Amino acid sequence: MSRLVPWLTVGPAVLWTLLFFILPLVLMAWTSLQPLQGDGPGLGNYVAFFTNPSYWRALVNSLEVTALVTVLAVLLAYPFAWVLAEQVPERWQRLALVLAILPFWTSYLVRSYSWLLVLAEQGVVNGALVGAGLLSEPLRLANTRAATVIGFVHFFVMLLTLTIFASLKQLSPSYRKAAADLGAGPLRTFVYIVLPLTLPGIMVGAFLTFVLAIGDYVTPQILGGNTELLMPQLIMLQIGRRGDFPLASALSLILMLVVTVAYLGCARWLRLERV
Amino acid sequence: MAHRLPRVVGALYAALIYGFIFLPVVVLVLFSLQATTLPVPPFTGPSLRWYDAVLSDRRLTAALGNSLLVALLSSALAVVLGFLAAWGLARFRPPGSGLWRALLTLPLMVSYLIIGMGLLILLNQLGAPRSRVSAGIGHVVINLPLCFAILYSQMGEQQARAEQAARDLGAAEWQVLLLITAPMLWPALFASFFLSVTFSWDEFIIAFLLTRFDTTLPVEIWNLLRAGLNPRTNAVGALVFLVSAVLVASIELVVLRRRRS
Amino acid sequence: MRTARRLACALTLTAAALACHPAGADELNALIWCDHADPALLQPFEEAHGVRVNVKEYEGTGAGLAIVEQSRPGDWDVMVIDSIDVRRGVERGLFAPLPEDRLPLADLFPEVRFDEHTTVAGKRYAITEKFGYNTVGFNRTKVDPAELRSLKALLEPKYRGRLAIYDYYLPVMGMAALAVGKRTSELSADDLPAIRDVLLGMKANARLVGEVAASQTALATGEVDILVGGGEWVTAGLARENPALDFVIPDEGAVLWSQSLAMFADSPRPELALEFIRYVMSPEGQARLATSSCYWGMPANRQAALTDEEKRILRFAEQPAFLARAQPYPAPDEALDRQMQDVWTEMLQAR
Repeated sequence: MSRLVPWLTVGPAVLWTLLFFILPLVLMAWTSLQPLQGDGPGLGNYVAFFTNPSYWRALVNSLEVTALVTVLAVLLAYPFAWVLAEQVPERWQRLALVLAILPFWTSYLVRSYSWLLVLAEQGVVNGALVGAGLLSEPLRLANTRAATVIGFVHFFVMLLTLTIFASLKQLSPSYRKAAADLGAGPLRTFVYIVLPLTLPGIMVGAFLTFVLAIGDYVTPQILGGNTELLMPQLIMLQIGRRGDFPLASALSLILMLVVTVAYLGCARWLRLERV
Repeated sequence: MAHRLPRVVGALYAALIYGFIFLPVVVLVLFSLQATTLPVPPFTGPSLRWYDAVLSDRRLTAALGNSLLVALLSSALAVVLGFLAAWGLARFRPPGSGLWRALLTLPLMVSYLIIGMGLLILLNQLGAPRSRVSAGIGHVVINLPLCFAILYSQMGEQQARAEQAARDLGAAEWQVLLLITAPMLWPALFASFFLSVTFSWDEFIIAFLLTRFDTTLPVEIWNLLRAGLNPRTNAVGALVFLVSAVLVASIELVVLRRRRS
Repeated sequence: MRTARRLACALTLTAAALACHPAGADELNALIWCDHADPALLQPFEEAHGVRVNVKEYEGTGAGLAIVEQSRPGDWDVMVIDSIDVRRGVERGLFAPLPEDRLPLADLFPEVRFDEHTTVAGKRYAITEKFGYNTVGFNRTKVDPAELRSLKALLEPKYRGRLAIYDYYLPVMGMAALAVGKRTSELSADDLPAIRDVLLGMKANARLVGEVAASQTALATGEVDILVGGGEWVTAGLARENPALDFVIPDEGAVLWSQSLAMFADSPRPELALEFIRYVMSPEGQARLATSSCYWGMPANRQAALTDEEKRILRFAEQPAFLARAQPYPAPDEALDRQMQDVWTEMLQAR
């Protein structure tokens, strides 16, 4: 009986994952080989992706946007998390952190939508800038790639602040004390002690940002104004307009492949870091 | 003086980021009180007409109920499955446990869109209908890895010793699990449940692809968004935010009080 | 701790209560466009018949038919579909014939009866309920309508950054076809290069390519001055707020959109489905549909119970003149449809 216990406890979750995650992916891979019309299975959908510029351009757009978002979000969130962890008194830190991620709890769709209101030509940002005489013409922000990036960065600054804050707090103060005792100034302590030690935390957060951003349909769809297509939009276009599941499946698998490559890249990098 | 400069810069920077983080929320809430039908400046309110419209919209309130139902049930299932698997793998280390661990966390790497589409293809193959159930299944898929990872990381030596003591005193495995492990892991269980509810509550694309009429709130909000520029969307967003903020605050209070006592 | 437990109890109770929520004794399942989701349209019917109308929105016939194919027989009762695509549904055996004597066919604008699309082999399978134009919507304070006499004007450099394009390939590609002097009913793959050039030219001037909401927003907030593919369905709903929004039909003409109601052959409630169609086609139903919160449009029934103000906004009196200059939606076969969507994707992706 007791020999069955591990299987009885692990089994359900494994079964669930196999049935509702692995099996669908296998079906998707099979579907991606089917042509929408015409003869037997083949790589036609993949060939279509690589030969049609408006298809592969979507992947390039996605990579550009996601890379920019990841870098910007890390650069903005790190100092913020640092201020929260180092300068805010201990007893207020929790409150400061909860405040920093409060907008998480607005609906994710509505958040993108409200950026549209903020960035509109008659919106708050342009109103303030033009009103203050800083600009004569309103900026074109809404319905551009910049709007997509801003919407994404907003979300991921909150996420990264959390992960970076956590890794800063795990840092034992004795490291810094030791560095100071050995005569290192604050800057050198940061560059040689704090930054390397929090790097794994940053990498985890950055990877999470990359994965979540590259697969997101809503933000570019609401904010980007369809002036260009990212991968998830191209995928949804196939499902929503054409009912073309084979092409949508092929595009999805290509997207998964990209994420896997990014993971392998990150993992190797992280391991090197530990050596 | 030179000593204070970094503090001032830090405070300024934090204020800027807080401003950036709160800007859309403030605008959202402000224009939910708009009296006219376009939620852009100039502000014509305050008026509660859009809240009235939202609260009397049966489809929205039904979607709210569906969202709650899907979030609570799918999260409960995800926590139970994740808890059992984490306990089994941590305590017994069955053969291939590294592989099982990798398998269980793998869905974290795949975007929701792809998970949803895969399930849609599965449903089509089976000829099964789209419903709240299928959306719930999808939400378990996305939340199970999270629950598993959180709970697995919390399976420490201390619990293992307490469990062993209970076994020595003649407790059956299910009693150990229910009476020793679960109560000791209560904070982690609660955290993973709460996190799952949050993710499920706000999840759009899977619910969009997998439901038919019994849509969840995000899908209904999506329909609102597509149906025209409308302060109703602001009102829904503001309400969701208000409810969630109150919930978060009360949980925060509970946790804090527990810590102090 | 106690609070947490109480909270957990409350949540569990809510879940239990929701789970026990009855599924509703009598329901009607409708596959629709967003204008039919308006409670103001549905509630009177629901109350009169003591039923609940479940709606699922879709856009584009391809997506709608895909939804039907992924459903089980009997899942759906009625469907809103592009008039020109009714035949596609009939060919798949989806729709049931409608009794003409129980429908107000005589009251319809004759130009939108579309018997060639809505009847097959002498049997009627759908009835036109609402129509309008995909043409040029604009802001009168920013653009002189005289400048928009020709669709070619949309390609001029002076409109750079001032255009929005409605994100649906059929009507806008129909307009592009008009711009190069083609008839929308006679499109072939050979016309696509010329249409593509017009689309890319418009894209070069476009600020965004948006669905109903996004394009309405852009026009209403002054983000753009002209909406390609716009018409009364964009401007009428906003007329009270922003009277400067208007539409014009250029010399080349406009594309006529038209939506029909059909009943599914395997509907388990054919009588209720027919009653729903009769309700939507009644003067009151027509008025509510025409002024739906999602978008306004012309009622197909001339007897629609609209106020004078609503009629003025919809330009009810000018319809005969408009209809004379309108051409139908393009109705490509599946191969051409695929090619058209590829061109559309190329336009979306173009810089």
